[in-house]
Amino acid sequence: MALSTPRLLVRFLGGRNLLYGGAPFPSEQTPGDSKTRNEETDKVMSSGDSNPAATPTPCVDIQGDGRWMSLHNHFVSNSKDKEPDVLFVGDSLVQLLHQFEVWRELFSPLHALNFGVGGDETQHVLWRLSNGELAHISPKVVVLWVGTHNHSHTAEQICGGIMAIVQLIKDKLPKAYTLVLGVLPRGKMPNPLRERNAQVNKLVKDAVSSLPHASLLNVDPGFVHSDGSISHQDLYDFLHLTPQGYQAVCQPLHAHLKGLLEKQAEN
Amino acid sequence: MTNIPRLTSAVASCLRIAISWMSGDEMNPAAVAQAVEDIQGDDRWMSQHTRFVQECKDAEPEVLFIGDSMVQLMQQYEIWRELFSPLHALNFGIGGDTTCNVLWRLQNGELDNIGPKVTVVWVGTNNHEHSAEQVAGGILAIAQLLTSRLPKTKVVVLGLLARGEWPNPLREKNVAVNSFLRSWLPRLGHTQFLDVGAGFVHSDETISTRDMFDFLHLTAAGYRAIAKPLIDLLLQILEGTPEEKRASLV
Repeated sequence: MALSTPRLLVRFLGGRNLLYGGAPFPSEQTPGDSKTRNEETDKVMSSGDSNPAATPTPCVDIQGDGRWMSLHNHFVSNSKDKEPDVLFVGDSLVQLLHQFEVWRELFSPLHALNFGVGGDETQHVLWRLSNGELAHISPKVVVLWVGTHNHSHTAEQICGGIMAIVQLIKDKLPKAYTLVLGVLPRGKMPNPLRERNAQVNKLVKDAVSSLPHASLLNVDPGFVHSDGSISHQDLYDFLHLTPQGYQAVCQPLHAHLKGLLEKQAEN
Repeated sequence: MTNIPRLTSAVASCLRIAISWMSGDEMNPAAVAQAVEDIQGDDRWMSQHTRFVQECKDAEPEVLFIGDSMVQLMQQYEIWRELFSPLHALNFGIGGDTTCNVLWRLQNGELDNIGPKVTVVWVGTNNHEHSAEQVAGGILAIAQLLTSRLPKTKVVVLGLLARGEWPNPLREKNVAVNSFLRSWLPRLGHTQFLDVGAGFVHSDETISTRDMFDFLHLTAAGYRAIAKPLIDLLLQILEGTPEEKRASLV
C-alpha cells in the first residue's frame, strides 16, 4: 500500500484536506482550525486506505492449525440460532472472560454472546464483523474491547481502528448501542504501552463524545498501585485478568450494561 | 612458529563438537536456553520470571509445574485451588514459552532454593521453528537439567495435546513429539511420560470448544479431564516417597 509522492508530500505538509476535497466539512478550513484538522485526521484514521488498524484484515494462519478461521466460522454459525441482547466482541480479554464463573454469574443472565479471539487487533475484529459475525443477530448492546494487541500501530491509528468498528456496527445494526471499554494498563511497571493505551482511551473518548449510539467506559478499577506497579493477583501475566481482576472490572460493567439495556427497552 | 598450540586447539574443538553432538545442544536449537526478547515494550516475560525467582526464595513447594500457557492458565481455574494448591504446588508457567525459554528460566534462578518432590513439565506446543524430534530433544534437555539440579525430584513430562478444530500438521507433529518422548524418557532415571490427551479428539476428528475454547487452550472442563490422571500420578509419587512411608509408620 505504497503512497504516491504527492500523497506523501501532503502527509508531510499536514494538508490532509487536499486528500478529501469532497468531504462535507465546514467551508472555512485553515491550518489553524484544529477542530477541522482533527475531523480530517479522524477521517483518515478510520478510513481503510491510510490506516492499517482500520483496514479489515483476516489473520493469516502462520502456525498451521487454522484456529482463527475455525473460531470465526464458529461465531458465524453460532449466531444463526441465538438471539443475544448483548454481544461481547474483541480480543483475549473478551475471550478469557467467557471461561470464568463471572460470565455465568453476570452476563449469561443478560443473554450475552462472546466473540472474543485471543491476539486480535482492531483490523481483525473489523474483518470478522464485516464477514458474517453480525449477519444473523440483533443485539441491543455491543461491548467492544480491543486495541491492546495493535503493536505496530500508533495510538491515533488504534483509535481509528476502534472508530471504524463503531461505524461498522452502526451500519449493520442501526439500533444497537456500542459500549467501548477502555484499554487496560499493562506491564508490571510503567512502560510505553501503558502510555499508548491511555492515549487510545483519551482519543476514543473524544471521538465518541458526539455520538448518540456509542460511549467509552473506563473499566480500570485502579489496577495501578501508588508505586506504579500492577499486581499479578489482578493481571496474572501483567496483561490478562485473573478471575479476581475480572470481578473488579465486571461488577461496574454489569451495572452499566443493565442501565443501558433498560434505556434501550424504554426507547 | 610452532604447531602445538594449533594442534591442541584443533583437538579441543573436536572434543567440543563430540560432546555437543551427544548432548544435542549445538545440533538441536530446541535445546538451547534462550530468554524471550521484550519486543512489545512492557517487559512482561522478565517480570514474570523475576516473580518466580522471588517465589523460590519464599516457598517450599512439594510440586513444581513448569511450562507454557497450558501450565499458566491452569492456575486461573478453580481446579488449581481444589486439587493442586493442597499439594503445595508452585506454578511457573509462562504463555508462549518454548523449550528454549523454559531451559533459560530453569538455568537462571527458577530452581534455586527449592526441593520439590515432583516436577511436572508441560511445554513444546509453541516450538514452531523446530521439528518434532528437536522439540522432543528440548524437552529431554529440560528433564535432564531437572534431574541433575534437583536430585530428589521425580520428573513427570506431560504429552502435548492435539490442537486445531480439524486434523492438521500440528496435530501430527505433537503426536510425533509424544512418540519420541515415550521412547527416550524411560532411559533417564526418575522421569516418566504421562499422556493426558485421551478423549479430546472425537470420532469425527474434531476438537470441541467445550474442551479447548480456542482449539488450543483448555476450558475448566478440559482441565478437569486432564487433572484426573495427573493428580492420581502425583499422589502416587508423593505418597510413595520413602520419607512419607517412614513418617506414616511412626
